[in-house]
Amino acid sequence: MTPQVQHNLPAEPNRFVGRARDVAELCALVRGERVVTLSGVGGIGKTRLSLRVAASALPGFADGVWLVQLARVSDPELIVKEMADVLGVREEGSERLLDGLRIRLRGTRTLLLLDNCEHLVEPCAELVAGLLADCPELRFLLTSREPLRIPGELIWRVPPLDLPDERHPDAESVLFFVERAAAAGARAVTDSMPDVIRLCRALDGLPLALELAAARSSLLSPGRIADRIGDRFKLLTTGDRTAHARQRTLLATVEWSHDLLARKERVLLRRLSVFAGRFDLDLAEQVCADGDLLRRGEVLDVLSGLVDKSLVLHHGDGGRYHLLDTIRHYAAERLREAGEEARLRGGHLKVICAEMERCHEAGSLDSRLSWPARAVHFAKGRRLLDDCRAAIDWAVESGSAELGLRLAHAALTILAVRGDLRESVGWYERLLGLDLSGVPDQLIGVAKGGLAYGLETRDELDRAAALIEESIEEQRRHPYTQWLGVTYGVALTVFFRTGQTGTALRYLRELEVAAAEHDDLFNLTTARIARLNLALFQGQPRQAQRFGEEALALAMETGHHWTLARALTHLGAVAEARGDLEAAMRHHTAALPILEELDNRVELARCQAKVGRVAARSHDFPAARRSLAASLVLSTQTGRRSGVVRALVALSVLAQAEGDLDGAVVAAAAASALRESIGQHDAPARTQELLSLARDKLGEGRVALLWASGIAQDPGAVARRILDQKAGVGDVHEPANLLPSLPATPFVSSSGPAAREPRYATLTAREREIAGLLTEGLSNRAVAAQLVISPATVARHVANIMEKLGFGSRAQIAVWAAEHGLDHR
Amino acid sequence: MVDSGTGLCLTEGQLDERSAAATVQLRRRGVRAGDTVLICLTVGPDLLVATDAVIAAGGIVWPVPAELDEGRLRDRIMASRARLMISDLPRAMNAARESWVRMVVSVAELHSYPVSRERRTESDPTGRRTKGDCEGV
Repeated sequence: MTPQVQHNLPAEPNRFVGRARDVAELCALVRGERVVTLSGVGGIGKTRLSLRVAASALPGFADGVWLVQLARVSDPELIVKEMADVLGVREEGSERLLDGLRIRLRGTRTLLLLDNCEHLVEPCAELVAGLLADCPELRFLLTSREPLRIPGELIWRVPPLDLPDERHPDAESVLFFVERAAAAGARAVTDSMPDVIRLCRALDGLPLALELAAARSSLLSPGRIADRIGDRFKLLTTGDRTAHARQRTLLATVEWSHDLLARKERVLLRRLSVFAGRFDLDLAEQVCADGDLLRRGEVLDVLSGLVDKSLVLHHGDGGRYHLLDTIRHYAAERLREAGEEARLRGGHLKVICAEMERCHEAGSLDSRLSWPARAVHFAKGRRLLDDCRAAIDWAVESGSAELGLRLAHAALTILAVRGDLRESVGWYERLLGLDLSGVPDQLIGVAKGGLAYGLETRDELDRAAALIEESIEEQRRHPYTQWLGVTYGVALTVFFRTGQTGTALRYLRELEVAAAEHDDLFNLTTARIARLNLALFQGQPRQAQRFGEEALALAMETGHHWTLARALTHLGAVAEARGDLEAAMRHHTAALPILEELDNRVELARCQAKVGRVAARSHDFPAARRSLAASLVLSTQTGRRSGVVRALVALSVLAQAEGDLDGAVVAAAAASALRESIGQHDAPARTQELLSLARDKLGEGRVALLWASGIAQDPGAVARRILDQKAGVGDVHEPANLLPSLPATPFVSSSGPAAREPRYATLTAREREIAGLLTEGLSNRAVAAQLVISPATVARHVANIMEKLGFGSRAQIAVWAAEHGLDHR
Repeated sequence: MVDSGTGLCLTEGQLDERSAAATVQLRRRGVRAGDTVLICLTVGPDLLVATDAVIAAGGIVWPVPAELDEGRLRDRIMASRARLMISDLPRAMNAARESWVRMVVSVAELHSYPVSRERRTESDPTGRRTKGDCEGV
């Protein structure tokens, strides 16, 4: 079976020209070497080449090829976050995201392509070296103007496209220019090949320069372009003549292309540099038009002009645009020169804030819209995230606390649905550190609640508790908002977790009154679920059931799927506590599709584990295996150890239900060891019950032995052992091994060392002969004399033998030959 | 062969052994029959090993004297149109900056035995240099 390789490589925007041998060689290098860095100046085509290589190398990487774009990442902290986003790793409590990445990547045959590392060389070097040490089958392909300079890095200098000469007038650079010129609608470029050749030489074969020149070739002949750019060189040719020729060529070409722009095009290009990520026409109009130099109605035409000139790239998907890094830097300089930076970045902050608030309101909690209609807004908000970061940076830099806090608040609610709150802590800390005079008190109160929300997910409960009280205190002075309800919800979590039940109960009552009064169904659901948990905790399952049913009814009325899933999973827990396995199964399975749709894979893993546990207790073993395997894969992919612990506990339940007490004890031990490694020390009561049962049946000594072995084993191996057991007694229809249908993961892996191909190939007769002679300790010269061939030929044969057998020295060949009887001639 | 600078010597067996390993390294980096390979090293055993290895890999040796200044080095490197250069000299690395050289292989990398593909890069190959094996002979 051929597993479908996963990747996130974009489709190529146009034809890839030339570099065939380079691509083939790099493909081989990427498989063999651990880090390959494509280095070279901007515009030389590193990114495009890397994407091509990554796509060609796909078959060699069973666990996927993933592109992580770092050009728009300015904060080193965010590199890990960006990688985690791409790989689907989610944050977890106080655990670092980096640990999650290690879990996700350990043992997988994965290629990570980090594009544009140059502004983050040191943090990238540290991160890459660390991951390589932990993940033996991981490979990196990087693009960077500067190499990382870490051990084991293979630096590959990307050259320009081949230049034409007398013998090769059809060199890569010429083919590239002609191809792009034709795409730009130029007709007669091939009529004057000598001019094309002159132009390619003048542009040093730099792909970006050729691209910019080709975009103009429908109006200007290649000869005239070459002349004009030549003139510009003369202007630039001051100082260092040779050191950075390619950079100068590129700068000259970008400048030439820029100077040919109409005035309005120049205005738009420099203003577009404020966008951090991709933007659409509407955003460009809002941020860049001023009703004076550039009117709103003109933006579309001007933007299309820039796309035609290859200065702005257009993506078919959703009509979004972006600027190439080199161009963006150039444009940002022009923006500063024009004295427009502060105004434009301020405008960008305002627009992004308004957009985010719109997304927040439209997708938000109180409207009774259908879920798909709301999900659109959540997705849109997430796409604004890069610009949101840039805008918050500007808010901090320019001291615009109010706009910054409003933006952070709107963005937070959008992030919360997927459970990513960690980053917002940094935003709030920086923004709340600004001069807050003039900022409305209510907004400060709201912000403190947001900060407490993030801190709670990071387990910083003391700080969260102090902030949450201040936040509620402040917000209570103003008319009720849904956010106050949410803040109460955070307070409940914080105070229940810190054991201050009295305070928690007081807030719960306040929430119930306030939410009911304002018909805030979302937060009423939160309150009911809190009541449910409390009743369960106090051993009153019947009351819990009642609260659960109320929560479900409320959630259905709000139509908010996140709430709905929460109500369902809590009802399932209640049913399980009451011993009604059938109802538990019904509730949990109803929540699955909702969580899938929300892409909340952390909750999904939890829910699958619950389904598995209930199925095991109902003796539906094949179903239990399916769910638990799925849960384990999800937790591994999202890098969450607490999820793996949950799956192991459920596997222990499964083993016990099947009468495999040994397996049950081993799995419980593995779960316990992993739980302690993430700083959770509360052993569940079930483990104690299991152990005393096992001691009765198996004896003290055997249980101690099993426990020790479970602690020492890799959790993945323990899980595999139980999952691979004959698929449930009495069910022969189920395939015995469920794992091949799952993506390979460190814990449930079918790939791994198998990817290391044996380099055994038969030796030729001559090679066998020479291998035999080496057993006698002869030098190349002596072998050559015996066989009447040149020493160089002997050396070549020896190298061939070493390559075929994967050996590192001639001595190894001699040993091998002796073992295989080649010495007896 | 004796290195006149250090007095270290290299036996024929060692030469064969090292150039065989170096050949495998060159092949792994894509050197094929007919490829031009630049060698910019000071005269000594390493130069000999590198030369033998390029020939055994089927390549064409394009030696560049290590004493040349950066400008001259650049001209020769450009003229060679080589894809690969063997050198340890910072001057040569700078000179190769805007050329067609894709990879610069150091002497240490050339000598790193490809014992195991998987583990080779774990430790820095510079630790494996065995220069001076027959010191005092």
